[in-house]
Amino acid sequence: MAVITVDKLCKRYESMTAPAVKDVDFIVADREFMVLLGPSGCGKSTVLRMIAGLEPITSGTVSIDGRVVNQVPAKARDIAMVFQSYALYPHMTVFDNLAFGLRRRDVGRTEIDRRVHAAAVKLGLAELLKRKPHALSGGQRQRVALGRAIVRDPKVFLFDEPLSNLDAALRVTTRNELIKQQHEIGTTSIYVTHDQVEAMTMGDRICIMNQGEVVQIGRPLEVYRNPTDTFVARFLGNPPMNLLKGRLDAKDGVAVAHFAGSVIVLPKRAASSLVRYVGRDVIIGIRPEDLYETAPPGGPVPIARSPARVVAVEPLGAETLLVVALDVSSDELIARIGRDTALRNGDRFDIAIDTTAIHLFDPATTKAIV
Amino acid sequence: MATQMRLGFAQLRRLPLVLFVVLYSVVSGGPFLWVATMSLRTTAEIFKNPYGVPSPVHWEKFADAWTKSNYSTYFWNSATVVVVAVALVTVIGSMAAHCLARYRFRGNRFVRFLILSGLVLPPQLLILALFQILLDLDLYNTLTGLVIVYVATHIAMTVYILEGFFAQIPQDLFDAARMDGYSDFEIFWRVTMPIGAPAIFTTVTLNFIILWNEFLFAVVLLTDDAKRTLPLGIMHFTGSHQLDVGMVATGLMIAILPIILIYAFFSEAMIKGMTAGAVR
Repeated sequence: MAVITVDKLCKRYESMTAPAVKDVDFIVADREFMVLLGPSGCGKSTVLRMIAGLEPITSGTVSIDGRVVNQVPAKARDIAMVFQSYALYPHMTVFDNLAFGLRRRDVGRTEIDRRVHAAAVKLGLAELLKRKPHALSGGQRQRVALGRAIVRDPKVFLFDEPLSNLDAALRVTTRNELIKQQHEIGTTSIYVTHDQVEAMTMGDRICIMNQGEVVQIGRPLEVYRNPTDTFVARFLGNPPMNLLKGRLDAKDGVAVAHFAGSVIVLPKRAASSLVRYVGRDVIIGIRPEDLYETAPPGGPVPIARSPARVVAVEPLGAETLLVVALDVSSDELIARIGRDTALRNGDRFDIAIDTTAIHLFDPATTKAIV
Repeated sequence: MATQMRLGFAQLRRLPLVLFVVLYSVVSGGPFLWVATMSLRTTAEIFKNPYGVPSPVHWEKFADAWTKSNYSTYFWNSATVVVVAVALVTVIGSMAAHCLARYRFRGNRFVRFLILSGLVLPPQLLILALFQILLDLDLYNTLTGLVIVYVATHIAMTVYILEGFFAQIPQDLFDAARMDGYSDFEIFWRVTMPIGAPAIFTTVTLNFIILWNEFLFAVVLLTDDAKRTLPLGIMHFTGSHQLDVGMVATGLMIAILPIILIYAFFSEAMIKGMTAGAVR
């Protein structure tokens, strides 16, 4: 049982003018798997290290189960951490690596033996206990690193990009393995990554950070569907959301958006909040999967069409990415369409836009208009 | 036919390299072999024919050098001074290197500069000051005094080699040990030392070889015959009016034996330490 509360957490380094971490707030519920997601250098690892006790806190607090731990040394916080480089001791066997933390905590030899073997069986390391790290594959090393955290049976797990050193195929299997283990063990976990796929698939909630600040916290699909600003809109999703200039207007008492040569009637639910943007420029966001070569199959979806020219075709096997240039503007869009498309570079067609799926952002603040 | 020609051309291209290796071996190994042959011959035989092979072989010269010429005392003096100095310089140097490589503290750069500046100071510059200091401390003409001087003068090189290696040990290993509850000293002892073993072997070997052959400090700071180290002992056979070349050669062979043994034991670890990249 552990609830982690991070309150107004700040980190400032002497050598830097801007703070590395600024007023970060979030609460991780008991047994929750929270993912800190953001680009390199956004401060997510610094937050994790401050929670771990490896980095002094400039201001703000970190609490575990209501107790502020700012002054508590790392070893007394009952936290286990899995590092990006796995941090396996090269001179020790797998067994000794797993037992290293327990030995310091005066756990009896029999108990160490029991816990290490239980973790080894759980993680498929039973046959490798006598090997040294250099004789293990990347995936096996990663499992040893995870095992070292598991055997300690801590209150909190912290993961600092633990899959980033694995190749793509191994990353998928290890990711699934990690999710399985976390669900079985149920320990409160914070996981740092810059990989949005990891964040989307692993996190109960994700906390997106940029330039040392929290930008948005929510369930993965919630965040994906309702990005709070253009940064989240672009960062989450691959290819990223298309952002275009547009203009809002009112027509017959209904909000409409002008862009790409089309007039799009916006959903009624948003009408009231859009009033103050009538007659003003906005940023219009469209995810690549909401663009179609022809009208989407099944059900009447409000569709806008805009003449466009194919600039590039990227067949990925399961799907095809099209880069298209709109005729009415210089904007280029990326569309994710079916793998069977016959479109080629230079072809012209009317690209179809699902108008129910568009996002609006304030160009001044880059915040979403809802 | 074409393959044979290609093979011949490849061998021809390698010829300069082979010649260089042969020449280098002759230049460096030749004198050693010459001294080795002289160590088994008497001085009279050597003067008669300097480059002759030992016939008969005078093995008894080694026993004579050891027993009659005080060589055993010189040997044990050398062994005591060098083993203690190398042990101390390794422990102190590795601790200093660990701190400089691992911790950011106020004055870190200054301390590093101070220690590493020892690398550029020639021993001749220090000798007078050291002589006076040891005299004041009643350590002149003692093995303890020589040990202290050896430790002080070899800290710089030891820290220089070890710090470079220790700095490559990933920080994550230290963070992991901290989270596991280990103290700073335990981390040094259980993480830095074992992982840094190749570099430590390198410094042990280098310091041993250098100190075993050290002459300048020993000749100035030791005067009693009973306290002399091996390099001084060899001087015993040379005087202003006589030179016992045969016994000098025998003494040199005795002196070089520990070096050969040390190198045989640690050469692999030393090369590993010198060529090691990131510790992964």
